[in-house]
Amino acid sequence: MDEEILQDFLVEASELVDQLDEQLVDLEHSPTDGDLLNAVFRGFHTIKGGAGFLGVTPLIEVCHRAENVFDKIRNGDVEYDAQVADVILRAFDVISDLIEQLNDGEREFPENDPALLNELDAIFKGTAVAPEPETAPVEAASEPQSENVSEQLHLADGVDPDGDMTDDEFEALLNQRDGVQDPSSSPKGLQLDPGADPDGDMTDDEFEALLDQRDSLGDQPAASNPNGLSLAPGADPDGDMTDDEFDALLDQRDLTQLAEAQEDTPPTIPEPIVVEKAAPEPAPQQPAAKPKAQPKSTAAKKAPAKANAESTVRVDTKRLDDIMNLVGELVLVRNRLLTLRGNSSDIEDISNAVGNLDHVTTDLQASVMKTRMQPVKKVFGRFPRVVRDLARKLGKDIELELLGEETDLDKNLVEALADPLVHLVRNSVDHGVEMPDEREANGKPRKGTVILGAEQEGDHILLSITDDGKGMDPDVLRRKAVEKGMMDEVAANQLDDKSAFELIMSAGFSTADQISDISGRGVGMDVVKNMITKLNGSIDINSVLGEGTRISIKVPLTLAILPTLMVAFEKDSYAIPLTSVQEIFDFDINNTNKIDGMMMVRLRERSIPLYFLSEWLNPQSDKTDSKGDKVVIVSVGNQRVGLVVDQVNGQEEVVIKPLGTGLKDVGGYAGATITGNGNIALILDLPGVVDRFQ
Amino acid sequence: MELTDQQADVLNTDFIIQEEDSKYAGPSARCVLFNLENEIYGIQVKKIREVLRVSNIRNVPGAAYNVLGVINVRGVIVTVVDTRVMFNMPQQDVTDLSRIIIIEVDEEKTVGMLVDCVMEVKDVPENKIEPLSTTKENASRNIQAIAHYEDNVIILVDVDNMFS
Repeated sequence: MDEEILQDFLVEASELVDQLDEQLVDLEHSPTDGDLLNAVFRGFHTIKGGAGFLGVTPLIEVCHRAENVFDKIRNGDVEYDAQVADVILRAFDVISDLIEQLNDGEREFPENDPALLNELDAIFKGTAVAPEPETAPVEAASEPQSENVSEQLHLADGVDPDGDMTDDEFEALLNQRDGVQDPSSSPKGLQLDPGADPDGDMTDDEFEALLDQRDSLGDQPAASNPNGLSLAPGADPDGDMTDDEFDALLDQRDLTQLAEAQEDTPPTIPEPIVVEKAAPEPAPQQPAAKPKAQPKSTAAKKAPAKANAESTVRVDTKRLDDIMNLVGELVLVRNRLLTLRGNSSDIEDISNAVGNLDHVTTDLQASVMKTRMQPVKKVFGRFPRVVRDLARKLGKDIELELLGEETDLDKNLVEALADPLVHLVRNSVDHGVEMPDEREANGKPRKGTVILGAEQEGDHILLSITDDGKGMDPDVLRRKAVEKGMMDEVAANQLDDKSAFELIMSAGFSTADQISDISGRGVGMDVVKNMITKLNGSIDINSVLGEGTRISIKVPLTLAILPTLMVAFEKDSYAIPLTSVQEIFDFDINNTNKIDGMMMVRLRERSIPLYFLSEWLNPQSDKTDSKGDKVVIVSVGNQRVGLVVDQVNGQEEVVIKPLGTGLKDVGGYAGATITGNGNIALILDLPGVVDRFQ
Repeated sequence: MELTDQQADVLNTDFIIQEEDSKYAGPSARCVLFNLENEIYGIQVKKIREVLRVSNIRNVPGAAYNVLGVINVRGVIVTVVDTRVMFNMPQQDVTDLSRIIIIEVDEEKTVGMLVDCVMEVKDVPENKIEPLSTTKENASRNIQAIAHYEDNVIILVDVDNMFS
């Protein structure tokens, strides 16, 4: 397998899978949307094309059948209802699994589950109305020649589909064709021998065979023709074949060949492709137009610029041009500075040049940052499916609305946010939105709504998950907290509603009386909280009993640049992420108490634990006087702690760099950075700092 | 530049390039030779990215004992280890001769080794290299082999092992 082609295929296929994921769910809401159907059809077709090139047979099989089904659907022969959707989505899962396996380096694939293939075939043949899909394929297989199902030419069992066709076989097919054609009123199509090489040139024989078939079929132009290769009914049977007609046949031939990639399906093996159903319009190019409508380039062009492989980013060339331009500017400024260095001219020139340098580097930095930005759509794209499957499983009726999908955020964040968001959305669907009957009883519409939104707010991104479900009862939460021994009753009753909601983010807190396999094991929200904290973000919960819950997540636009508060011990500086800093005040020993061996500071009627960072960061210090020390109050998870530092040196936006080799396991650091004066400052990881002191 | 007596000795007497073995045409390992406690150590050139003068080493409280801290190498933070500590020698203050050898263990791992002084680059013929025979089990982990070459004993450091 050509690795380079494979990589190209994987990038493209992953994009298509992402798109299909969304489109398939959209399709359930508007099953007759022609554009959408075409897009889905194209998606499967393009994946199939690539898979065919690489020879990944199981992938070809599934894509091919899915494509068949969608061809039926877009022609209006089959309705895309929930049952069909289930089968298609299962097929889609198989496809996306296979692609993922390819991505992981797997090159040998087991055969597909025949049940799925049969179900797809059954839908294709229009026999899969049965709610028990298991039985459907048997029916379909057992009566392939039934009146409604059109006959197909097929090869005798045991014929090697890859070998050359012998004259006998060809004769046999011709006979079948003739036999099928004469007496029956049922339609049939042209078909090439399955052994034909789809990429090779058409041989004269094949061409002749097709011509023959065309001519004979041409006598019954009005015959409905759901199966087999066919020419447009209006084609003049005796005239010369036009290029269009020839192309159409070639296309059909290629598609047909793919159909017999499977070996152990019942006698209907060489399954012909429906190119056109009985159509009155005599447009000769019609049959060809559809299969030809999906060349690779079209699909690729339509794909939004988003990358899939973890380590690559697709960048708009416009952004690259901007960067190139800025780098050019940078070189110019450098040249000017070099000249100035040579002939020590006046201060004004130098300061101009430096000012210029400042601008160029700032812009350059912003431009480079933008190359890492990706639309939040990349995370959101998976949710329609998540919600659909979950709602169906729970018997709920839920609509997911996505807002602000175009909001850009850092690639790392896009990846890091995926899991917490999935969890929150599942929570909303599972615990938030009520069952339809219950909703109705409460005077709400049966259909629940979950809104997933994203918007930029200054240098932050605000993500919100809002549902119109039953909301949370702060009193229940308080009671639970007491039951779980997290606090006593007095403390619980003192919690305001907001703090009560925040209880759900404590470890081991789950209010669902019944634990479902979907959510509610109490391992979730605290993990979500930790993940968001790690991204220097914060979570805010609002809920109104009976009206719904809104969970807002605020994360910085990028992980690469971090606004920090610089603090120092003697000459070593450390950076504290600014998002966690709540206030700073002078350390006053008179305002502290030693409680249970731990120093606490009193702040507005609350005692907050104090961590003397110098014990860890500057243990050799002979400084005994705490005069001039500052207390920096930071929030870590749900708690507040005070960090005692020697000096506070103000704010600085820093670029986070990973700590060197072997230091990643040293707790308490999130990385390092280089400060304005060229020194290295270590960035503190607050959860790690707290761990260190506990 | 001030040299300690020891270091001056090393530079002046022990290590004058001798031509006697230059007829050897077989494969050889090109090594950077450096000095620790008057012994000569070698690291294969292919593992070394650069040799730097010692600049500000920023300490990292809580890091392992052999880690001196981190330095800024053109925008990349690189851990610096005290090679003396790795070889169970007493620590010594940085001098003008001290250097940091930047080692690329693999694509992701870059480490700086602080050494007493860097001497030269030399092709050590492979037929002079032999495995270290020692009865001490634990000492040999960081040493790949030794080479007797031009009246010197060169201790070849196994950096892969050292930083794995």
